[in-house]
Amino acid sequence: MLLNRKGSGARWRVRPDGPDKVTGKLAYLTDMTAPDMLIGRVLRSPHPHARITAIRTEQAAAMDGVHAVITHKDVPGLNRFGIANPDQPVLCEDRVRYVGDAVAAVAADSIEIAEQALRLIEVDYELLEVVEDAEYALEDDAPKLHPQGNLLHRNGFKRGDVDAGFDSCAHVVEETYYTPRQMHTYMETEGGLFIPGDDGRLTVYSPTQHGFMDRMQLARILAIPQSDIRIVSSPIGGSFGGKDELNVQPYGALLARATKRPVKLHNSRWESVRVGLKRHPMKISMKTGIDENGKLIAHQAKIIADTGPYATLGAEVLNFAVEHVIGPYRYENLDVEGFSVYTNNGLSGEFRGFGGNQAIFALEGQFDRLAEKLGIDPWELRLRNMRKSDDPGPFDHPIALTEGAKQVSAAMTASALWQERGNPGRTEEEQAEPWIRTGIGAAFTMHGAGLGFGIPDPAGGRLTLAADGKIEAVFGYEEFGQGLIASLEQMLIEQFGFASQDIRIIIGDTDVVPDSGSTTASRATSMMWKSLQNLRPLFEEAVLGKAAEILKLSASRLRFGEGGVYAIDADTDSSEAECLITYPALAAGCVEPITSTTQFHFPTSATEKVGAHFLYTYSAVAVKVEVNQLTGRIRLLHQYHTVAAGPVINPQGFLGQIEGGSSMALGFALTEDAVMSGGQYLTKNLDTYLVPTIAEHRGTMDVHPIEELPEEDTYGPRGIGEVGSVTLAPAIAAAIYDAVGVRVTKLPIDPELLLAQSIDQLLDKAVSGE
Amino acid sequence: MAANAQGVAEAPFVWHPATAAEAWQLKQTLGTEGVYTAGGTLLRTQWEAGLAAMPNHLINVGEIEELHGIHIDCESGTGTLGAMITLSDLRTSPLVHASFPLLTEAARSIAAPSIRNLATIGGNVLSLVGDSLPALLIYDPVLHWHDGSNGLQESLSEWLSTAAVHAAWRERLLIAIELTQPALDSNTKRFVAYHKVGRRDAFTPSVVTAALSVQLDSDNRLSDVRLALGGGQTIPHRLELVEQFLTGKIANKKTITEVYALVVEHYEPKGDAFVPVSYRKKAAANLIASELWKAVR
Repeated sequence: MLLNRKGSGARWRVRPDGPDKVTGKLAYLTDMTAPDMLIGRVLRSPHPHARITAIRTEQAAAMDGVHAVITHKDVPGLNRFGIANPDQPVLCEDRVRYVGDAVAAVAADSIEIAEQALRLIEVDYELLEVVEDAEYALEDDAPKLHPQGNLLHRNGFKRGDVDAGFDSCAHVVEETYYTPRQMHTYMETEGGLFIPGDDGRLTVYSPTQHGFMDRMQLARILAIPQSDIRIVSSPIGGSFGGKDELNVQPYGALLARATKRPVKLHNSRWESVRVGLKRHPMKISMKTGIDENGKLIAHQAKIIADTGPYATLGAEVLNFAVEHVIGPYRYENLDVEGFSVYTNNGLSGEFRGFGGNQAIFALEGQFDRLAEKLGIDPWELRLRNMRKSDDPGPFDHPIALTEGAKQVSAAMTASALWQERGNPGRTEEEQAEPWIRTGIGAAFTMHGAGLGFGIPDPAGGRLTLAADGKIEAVFGYEEFGQGLIASLEQMLIEQFGFASQDIRIIIGDTDVVPDSGSTTASRATSMMWKSLQNLRPLFEEAVLGKAAEILKLSASRLRFGEGGVYAIDADTDSSEAECLITYPALAAGCVEPITSTTQFHFPTSATEKVGAHFLYTYSAVAVKVEVNQLTGRIRLLHQYHTVAAGPVINPQGFLGQIEGGSSMALGFALTEDAVMSGGQYLTKNLDTYLVPTIAEHRGTMDVHPIEELPEEDTYGPRGIGEVGSVTLAPAIAAAIYDAVGVRVTKLPIDPELLLAQSIDQLLDKAVSGE
Repeated sequence: MAANAQGVAEAPFVWHPATAAEAWQLKQTLGTEGVYTAGGTLLRTQWEAGLAAMPNHLINVGEIEELHGIHIDCESGTGTLGAMITLSDLRTSPLVHASFPLLTEAARSIAAPSIRNLATIGGNVLSLVGDSLPALLIYDPVLHWHDGSNGLQESLSEWLSTAAVHAAWRERLLIAIELTQPALDSNTKRFVAYHKVGRRDAFTPSVVTAALSVQLDSDNRLSDVRLALGGGQTIPHRLELVEQFLTGKIANKKTITEVYALVVEHYEPKGDAFVPVSYRKKAAANLIASELWKAVR
């Protein structure tokens, strides 16, 4: 059944953080100020690659209103950061490797004074050759950006003998695909408020996707115990992976420590574009062969990922891409490999989809081309090679058993949109304007969730009956717009029977919450669900046990309800139902708050392959597009997404994630690319870096969740935070081919490729009875 | 840049002259230290991008009475648009829509509502590349300037042809734009069209902007042909060679095919890092050819 407001009935709830967000009442962390606050600013390198020979800060430091000027000499601890591999200088010592590199930072009384102070800092640079091409970076004579060279990470997977496989193929397709440097473009740019306490502790109010990781990294930089740092990290005005890594936090922390005053930093959009992470641009070369029946015999892929100057999660993104260029299909012979390469371009890192978007665009393109060679329907070729539910995962590793692949394939092919394919009826627009062509295409993916094998991926949470009688749900997750708070509240209401006013949700504060792991990798809702599954018997036993003691009844005869504890057979819908004891009364009867805690690890596969996933979400997407052959521009008329991810926890949140993901994918496909030349951004602002507007979203969209899981499944709802962003681009490419017969290999799609080849071609259709 | 003794940026001083003469005199006195401002939307982007320094003095021309107002005489088909008319005013004016419909269409396609509420037609013209220009060029536009003496009138086309290289106009103050609707001969019909193609569907810089107005008799013979093209950093202009070619011809497949080739050959747009010249030529030619086809369909 399609997911929408009407069909969701009472499950469609007003999200608790909604009213304050839409009215503008909610204060984000970057809206915060403090008395006596200073403004921090960071001096960035103007050069993509240079040696620093001198830094002179005296003039800036002497300015009235300047309270601190810091350079690498002022970093007490490790002058490096990076979630997985700390190789990015907090403040560069002797070399800059991209135009976002930080050289100095100031704290001053005002923005204007801080900016003038930056202008007064003199840095002498010796320019070095700019490495702007990832393939060139791998050549022996390319300048080495790091001591170990320019290869950050290499990964691959082989089975059988692809060369022999290709020799026996009836059809082979070779193609190279290119994907853009996409920007997260969150509405709230990076920033934060950094407050040193009288007790020597530092409080950091700054968005991040994993407060404890920031705390660890900052402690390492400041050379202080982690317990001396408190990270408050929610609410967040969008992240999409872009704020998981540290951004302004090291500078705010250092300046606050140096001045002993609160310091605020908040990047302008210009600075955000220049400094912030982007999606890895990838060049993916593929060679794929089938036999005369369409059976996949051999598949070879080579991924070159431009990771920019530093590691952050470049290696992990590459691992994900390597896994997903294999995807939901079975091959006789496989040889895929990837290279994540340092360059002097912008910094690439974590971004919704995590390498899957690039991989699936390429992989699905191969199926469309092979099907044409064989002369069969493109979906039929997929079906012939699609994994069975008990097949191993892409790396031949064990994965959680579901029917997801089959389910989404069946749903998509049965959709009205897919059924419309091949219908010769032309739309009114096509008839009135013969240069308008429409086409339908589809694509398919399985998208891994969690960080994968071999990477610490803790989860957990806590429920407390607080002293005031509120049920506190405490998790180390973040709310960055995805609806995490709403989903948690909905689970507490639906699974436990609490009313929304009974609940207090506490997230995003390292002084209070347990380490539930990161809010990334489509994992948070699944992990909250699993946590509540674990917590429910514990919390029931403790709280209902206490109620039983007070009420002198058997705990087995009691249950949670709205406002308090009820008899197990009380009909809550009836006004007669009697609350035996309210939560505040129960709390008053306790000497200490009752708390239940769970800690566990994200489920992983029994494999040795680092990064291999265990839980996957399956999705198939069909789209109908319109191509205007006068302008080469595309309109997305209709899209259908089916997603097999287990039970829908929060209908509104589910729909929002798939719609939002799809919107990002539309930008990836049609308009977004942070263009660089010589290591400098040419798209410096949102007037040249173009995200889709509401005008691009005039088409309709259906979301069809498939909720059934095998009976024995214990993992529950799978992640849906990313999958909506993965499969749209290849579906659009297929639809364009259906419309105008042009194969797309590069995103964003170049309209010039889609222009009519000649005016005669158009007029032959257009002019009648000359 | 406005700054204190330490070099710290300060807000410019803003003057509010009540008359054009007063504004002009201020500009004379302040020289390069003073910059005229109307909506300020373009200036702001230039300051942010570092393309221009924020000046010490801004001369706000918004309070000058004669810069305001839309005066259109529907009978004679003539009109005057005050330079301070906002793009939102232009977009929603029924008078403008009745007499100069391409302008309504152009205003609709520029920037976003919040910007159109501030941005003025004068500013759009003086940017040299505004998307109102191809539409204005269809209506025999004449610019009315205040130059400190008796005022100066100059055809928009002539001004555009030299504005990028001659800076003298920057001392003057644009008061209004005078327009004339093309007259319609008996037994003919007029066909007009405006297109803006960007890299996305809304709130986008133009890649190709095309405006067209033709008169057709019952045999589809073309007369009074007006074509204007612009987009990106290309200064919009009429395509006189193509206009002459079409005048007197019957609009049919042969003519349209030839026009396509002529546009591709003679239109010389500027490319940029995002869209090459080749696309701009072909898309412009496609738009003109397809509109001619629609005119005779």
